[in-house]
Amino acid sequence: MAKIVVIGAGFAGQTAAIYLGTRLGKKHEVTVISNRDVFGYVPSWVWVGVGHMKPEDTVFKLKPVYDRINVRFVHAAAKEIHPEPGDQYVLGEEIGTGNPVRLDYDYLVIAPGPLLNFAGTPGLGPDNGFTHSICSLPHAVKTRDAYLALVERMKKGEKVKIVIGTGHPLATCQGAAFEYISNVHKDLLKRGLRDKADILWLSNEPALGDFGVNGVQVKRNGIVMKSEEFIKSVFLDAGIRWQVQTGVKKVEDGKIYWENYEGQEGVTEFDFAMLIPQFKGQPFKYIGKDGEDISSRIVNPAGFVMVDGKYGLPYAELSQTPEAWPARYQNPTYPNMFAAGIAFAPPGPISRPFTNPNNFMIAPAPPRTGMVSGMIGRVVALNIVDMVNGREPSHSERMTEMVAACIASMGDSLWDGSAVAIVMRPVVPDRKKYQNEYGRDLFISHLEMGLAGAWMKFMLHHTFIWKFKALPGWQLIPE
Amino acid sequence: MTEQQFSRAEKFWMNFKLYQLWRFIVLNIKIYTIAVQSKWK
Ligand SMILES: Cc1cc2nc3c(=O)[nH]c(=O)nc-3n(C[C@H](O)[C@H](O)[C@H](O)COP(=O)(O)OP(=O)(O)OC[C@H]3O[C@@H](n4cnc5c(N)ncnc54)[C@H](O)[C@@H]3O)c2cc1C
Repeated sequence: MAKIVVIGAGFAGQTAAIYLGTRLGKKHEVTVISNRDVFGYVPSWVWVGVGHMKPEDTVFKLKPVYDRINVRFVHAAAKEIHPEPGDQYVLGEEIGTGNPVRLDYDYLVIAPGPLLNFAGTPGLGPDNGFTHSICSLPHAVKTRDAYLALVERMKKGEKVKIVIGTGHPLATCQGAAFEYISNVHKDLLKRGLRDKADILWLSNEPALGDFGVNGVQVKRNGIVMKSEEFIKSVFLDAGIRWQVQTGVKKVEDGKIYWENYEGQEGVTEFDFAMLIPQFKGQPFKYIGKDGEDISSRIVNPAGFVMVDGKYGLPYAELSQTPEAWPARYQNPTYPNMFAAGIAFAPPGPISRPFTNPNNFMIAPAPPRTGMVSGMIGRVVALNIVDMVNGREPSHSERMTEMVAACIASMGDSLWDGSAVAIVMRPVVPDRKKYQNEYGRDLFISHLEMGLAGAWMKFMLHHTFIWKFKALPGWQLIPE
Repeated sequence: MTEQQFSRAEKFWMNFKLYQLWRFIVLNIKIYTIAVQSKWK
């Protein structure tokens, strides 16, 4: 009997757990260790942050799902990984009691998502700083409360400054911030308060609409349209100002300090700010046979787990080398160790990094969206199924092959809401396969805005929660 | 579409329910067919 341990029950870990439980759970031991006893449907936290969705509608309990699909649940936070053959185990701390938990494994899936590195920007974040975040459910709830308090001030006639975007020069997840700024705009419009707010998009992207993926390009009537023009139209239409090519360095009460591509430094004042922090890997300790720290053999300096990618290539070379992106998400030193979702180390950025004259680097990190994380979770699970059954891992999908669809909400109303539907193939440009300057399939890639998007976003909330609960027919729903 | 704000016609189509129902069907089919291919990798 093989023992498989999955750390984390988010988009990547939950996908892996469902595939592993349903395929191996009866004969083998599949265990999920998660520091939360619920699954959180992260994309809908955008709506929680403006008070349009109840927090409890975005979560469900994990244990009842696992009981149906033969997965054991351990409610604990993983702390240490001991990967040396012969004695491989995960050490955790049980939530509530703090008791140590030891989970031996034959196969390990590391999928704990990001560490939200608020400490990387002094003054950032809701706990020890002055800005808000929608990257965790408690943060989204806190953001909602602060936003609604701001609305009350506006109702009394006060004019306010709202800043939304990225809070670190190397931050990712611009898509979530874009959804939040659009939802705030739409909400204020509906409340008749839009004229009371000056809204600014502040981001580290090289250009508007870059989203950390070098933008999206689509061909329409023979003309290539870029997401930069599209998002510019969206912002002009909404009266949202923008400032890109900017790295936030520090935040004080009501003041954001930044530096831009030209090397200029400046201060932006705010009454309410939602800025995405830098993402790092979860700070697990990787311990060798003699108790020594072997983290540097397994994770990169940011704490992401190195897998079967080609690391260390300069951007110019990486952008021409699609095969540098990992295919199986398998650690080269420990082949029974996989990393899925945000936890795996990408070989480099997708968007062009920039260093300004002061040697200050401004470079969006590559996003690993929900769809990408789910796909990786599936690839990893199916490869473990192969290995448990004595076969070579036969599943692979590089981000230079993956298609990604993203529906960016711009108001949740099913009557007059809107969303931008974004489809891109591949997520990471493959300039060998697609011989255009963008390295993408311009026919499949798609950008469209309208009410249909709002319907899709609503539908995705329900279909994905259905899938993550492993309810009948879940296999038919793509990641 | 230009680099400027969306035109009145574009905005009309973005919220014209019948047209949007059509787009909803088309987008779902498009996204489902390309996303489901990944399942077999
Ligand atoms: C506000 C917001 C909106 C978004 N919208 C979209 C969208 O519309 N579409 C899209 O494709 N993507 C979207 N994303 C991105 C998407 O949510 C992420 O790509 C996805 O959640 C990453 O999945 P993951 O499994 O790697 O990490 P997570 O989903 O973060 O899951 C990690 C899990 O591991 C658990 N964990 C953490 N530490 C430990 C530990 N020490 N021990 C045990 N368990 C641990 C966590 O509690 C969590 O449950 C959005 C992100 C945000 C923040």
